[in-house]
Amino acid sequence: MAGKLFVRRRDGRIEVRLNDVGRAAIREVFAHVLAAERDPDHEWHLSLNAPINPSSDDDDPLSSLGRQNEIASNAELSIMTLKEQFLNDAEGWAWLSTLQVALRSTAVVNGLLSDEKLESCAPELLDDIRTMQQFLFELAACF
Amino acid sequence: MQPSRNSSTESDVQSEVSVITERPWNVIVWNDPVTPMTVVVVIFKRIFGYSSNKCTDLMLTVHHEGRAVVWSGQRERAESYCVKLQVAGLQATVERDA
Repeated sequence: MAGKLFVRRRDGRIEVRLNDVGRAAIREVFAHVLAAERDPDHEWHLSLNAPINPSSDDDDPLSSLGRQNEIASNAELSIMTLKEQFLNDAEGWAWLSTLQVALRSTAVVNGLLSDEKLESCAPELLDDIRTMQQFLFELAACF
Repeated sequence: MQPSRNSSTESDVQSEVSVITERPWNVIVWNDPVTPMTVVVVIFKRIFGYSSNKCTDLMLTVHHEGRAVVWSGQRERAESYCVKLQVAGLQATVERDA
């Protein structure tokens, strides 16, 4: 991938310079996050609903609901803006949050909780992770 | 008016004392092997409004020590920050200060 994938312009918008392959890869990631938040049986669902206070038997339901709504809203906004050439600040932040949620969920469900586990995982999985990291790294530079 | 202002001031002082003596709640961010360092810094800046240097220091604490206390205070605000961090994709929890 040559050149910057995301560029913050002077007017504040973020220019998306992804080609069709890049956008398709991102679409798949965003769709996974939205599906996981809505489907309790999705493999990512548990990683998206980690306890807020692990020492408490029950977390505050309002906090949990707020988190679910926000994750789903970010994923929805990301999917709605997938074809845009320019993102405003909130849309760019939704992309970054959704990508990061997907990255960490991928790591959690595959048990990649240490550097050693990450380096020894299947090549295809490592490729997926490196791709998401690259998107995130470049998008983070816009904030 | 003066007596009531005095009494209001006294009650303000009392409530401040009770807040100060209560053990704060800490927001903890945990390390993971996949999140790029720059993303952690950006998320801290966005959510807490800390300086770049402070965000970088906190990120390095997470990286080297496995966790960092990124905010302390009232329980409701701690939970709210924790939710924001989780929504942004970081592993975060709250715990009462020891």
